[in-house]
Amino acid sequence: MATMGNERDFLILTNNPLVPACMEGKGKYTIRFCPEKSYREILVMARDMVYAGHTLYTHPLSGSVKPNETPYKSVIVSVEPHGFDSDQGEIMANAIAVFDKFTPIGWNLNERILADFQLIDYTLLAGAINFDAAAGISNQSTRRE
Amino acid sequence: MSYKVVHYINQFFANIGGEEMAHIEPELRDGFVGPGMALNNAWKGEAEIVKTIVCGDSYFAEHEAAAKEKILGWVKEIKPDFFIAGPAFNAGRYGYACATIACAVQDELGIPVLTGMYEENPGADMKNKILIVATANSAAGMRKAAPVMAALALKMMKGEKIGASCEEGYMPNGIRKNFFEKEIGAKRAVNMLVNKLNDKPFTTEYPMPSFDRVAPNPAIKDLSKATIALCTSGGIVPKGNPDHIESSSASHYGEYDITGVDDLTSDKYETAHGGYDPVYANEDPDRVLPVDVMREFEKEGKIGKLHNIFYTTVGNGTAVASAKAFAAEYAQKLLQAGVHAVIMTST
Amino acid sequence: MKLELGFTQINDIQFSKECKVDNGTLYVDPEAVKAFMYEDDDVKAWVKDFTFDVAKPGESVRITPVKDVIEPRVKVEGPGGVFPGVISKVDTVGSGKTHVLRGMAVVTAGKIVGFQEGIIDMSGPGADYTPFSKLNNFVVVAEPADGYQDNKHEYEHAVRIAGLRAATFIGELARDLTPDETQVFETYGIKEGIEKFPDLPRVAYVHMLQSQGLLHDTYVYGVDAKRTLTTILNPTETMDGAIISGNCVSACDKNTTYHHENNPVVKSLFEAHGKTLNYVCNIITNENVYLADKQRSSDWTAKLCRLLDLDGVIVSQEGFGNPDTDLIMNTKKIELQGVKTTIITDEYAGQDGKSQSLADADPLADAVVTGGNANEVIVLPKMDKVIGMLDYVDVIAGGHAGSLRPDGTIEAELQVITGATNEMGFNRLSAR
Repeated sequence: MATMGNERDFLILTNNPLVPACMEGKGKYTIRFCPEKSYREILVMARDMVYAGHTLYTHPLSGSVKPNETPYKSVIVSVEPHGFDSDQGEIMANAIAVFDKFTPIGWNLNERILADFQLIDYTLLAGAINFDAAAGISNQSTRRE
Repeated sequence: MSYKVVHYINQFFANIGGEEMAHIEPELRDGFVGPGMALNNAWKGEAEIVKTIVCGDSYFAEHEAAAKEKILGWVKEIKPDFFIAGPAFNAGRYGYACATIACAVQDELGIPVLTGMYEENPGADMKNKILIVATANSAAGMRKAAPVMAALALKMMKGEKIGASCEEGYMPNGIRKNFFEKEIGAKRAVNMLVNKLNDKPFTTEYPMPSFDRVAPNPAIKDLSKATIALCTSGGIVPKGNPDHIESSSASHYGEYDITGVDDLTSDKYETAHGGYDPVYANEDPDRVLPVDVMREFEKEGKIGKLHNIFYTTVGNGTAVASAKAFAAEYAQKLLQAGVHAVIMTST
Repeated sequence: MKLELGFTQINDIQFSKECKVDNGTLYVDPEAVKAFMYEDDDVKAWVKDFTFDVAKPGESVRITPVKDVIEPRVKVEGPGGVFPGVISKVDTVGSGKTHVLRGMAVVTAGKIVGFQEGIIDMSGPGADYTPFSKLNNFVVVAEPADGYQDNKHEYEHAVRIAGLRAATFIGELARDLTPDETQVFETYGIKEGIEKFPDLPRVAYVHMLQSQGLLHDTYVYGVDAKRTLTTILNPTETMDGAIISGNCVSACDKNTTYHHENNPVVKSLFEAHGKTLNYVCNIITNENVYLADKQRSSDWTAKLCRLLDLDGVIVSQEGFGNPDTDLIMNTKKIELQGVKTTIITDEYAGQDGKSQSLADADPLADAVVTGGNANEVIVLPKMDKVIGMLDYVDVIAGGHAGSLRPDGTIEAELQVITGATNEMGFNRLSAR
């Protein structure tokens, strides 16, 4: 059983391709990469796990980039359930309520901007768990253009 | 040309009499009556009260549907530019009547409306549906209330942009609006803190959403001996909705016997709720009120038994005060029936 | 600790070969500023070129995308220099004398990421919402060197340093001036303060710093606030640039370096200091993404409030979403220590104003000052001149597809305007 707070207990839920590209196999955490899921669906997945007793390690609304701007979201929950925490359940429920209040924008985001949104999400995630973001980028398996 | 206004007041402000005359039926008079004069004067000819409707408070409370029908009929015919009611100050039934009839005029006839009353008047519960000017708690506040109501009403008639609640004098209605204060935020924060430190009154600029937290009861020690009831705000009712629970803003709840029912089927049950897509609930009402699973638990001995009555209402826009009243009533029935625990489902 | 600020009002900025301040006009040679910025190796490595412009109040000018705004200052007496740990050595600042060029700012602009945001309109309806429309702005537009796409960290750092260096260069011109006006700010040691103001409530300022990661950072004496524990500052340290902004996201409620230098909470607390309260100190705390960090930081904030025997605090916030949780955690824990709070925030209540304003809430937060609803929609007219670039307006926060209309007007949420709903309470904007 993984100890709470230990890197082995980090389960990274993400739809951001830069996260597995930079971080896969570089630490003791587990990455669940779900490219087919939307920002909101990542939040819902995290919420359901928190409701089921998994510990929430990072804030679901990390970053001041508004949830109707970026398509990417990464959240860390525990691999093991350690028991339901009502404060964390509330944080997750509130995050989804926040997502829903923003007016959909309907941008056509070009590759450059998508790459920037990936970078921000990845960097905030890396910063939260002391992963060297810059090293991750220069070591990534599939380089961006 | 000035805007045409219809004014609604009660028997007391029409100088007919007090409680002893509260039974009078609605009547229609020409021009302004009583407090209408102050409004008319404040409009200086830009708007004018063409008709005044007078109705007894008891009559309105006891014959709401009939009163509404009659008044709406008159207003429809007069076709005013604006409908104004009260102010009602702290008179509870008058406040309720002002808010209710104003809301009906706004929703059913599409005419802009305004009323005014004291913040604790029960009619003020409708402040998120119509604009209500906050007044003092007695008719002595008329001199202050009339100009505020008149000014806001005129703005609404002219279709001008309505400012924030504190600028215009209406009760906060849940719609946040920006405006410029006189002082910068940091200075306001220091002043607020100094008042708070000195136990002086202060007003927060953003009231936190109010939480009605309920401390959970101690856990049930032995579920296999417990009687469990099912309750819902998801609107599950016997097919045909025999008690006519409204699809929104429910005014009552229903109680139905499920003795011998093992499964809620689509031919016998449905939802009365108008706030969500009913297809899945109507297909299998157990999805909202899980009688089938509870019966399984009952058979397996996981629970003692399922209570033979379920309580149901529609949570769609139903006033918190109404919902509380329903629950307070049927909670007593549940207690008397010896129910140990309730599973309350929502949608 | 005691600091004297000497203000010289700047009413105009002129490009000239000679650099000086004379009779309220700043004369500055852009080439000299450029050379001074390029003395830094990171700036040399990541910025291909700089262009310069001046924007004055009332002009039909739009500056976008804005990265940072900085007020030029210079330390003339006492230990250390401005922007300690970044531009000057790391000596503790906040005492002695500092000269300020008031009524102007250095504005850094230019894209860093593709959705970069931040608009300053110098006239029109947008100007009412940003404090920087009232300043004479020396605008530095940075153009990235090749390869910056894969080195955004380095590039953001280079532009941040470049802006601070430009402000330092201009601030130096104030060194030998005789100020138009001087003001003295002084706070006392714990015991000294109690003896001086035995009957006044003891108040501190809990200053929350944005600290989430790339484009969301704040630096204290050069240290990334993400890596700090909750600690104490003398209020005057902020006036010498002890805190600088590395935050480029959420234009309306990010605290620029200018906001930190001219912190309105510090200013307002000093105005009340010795009269209605005893201003003890600033407590700085961060807004990290990792939940255990939030818990630790807010626990420490409450602990310090208790340890300092405070009666009350003002809590200010920076940013959207994640920091709401820190704000509520801090407030709740401080109140539970018996210390009274007033908090400053802004709102995201939706375009219709009907949604829940904050991502978190607690009944103990019963004294709230708001900087307004950032989702409210505003239409900005076309300006005759744009400094920076407009092609990113469609992808700035609060903008939407078609934000930039063919006639040059912009329809967007208040979010796009730099400093519009500032959560230190810099502005008069509010909401009900």
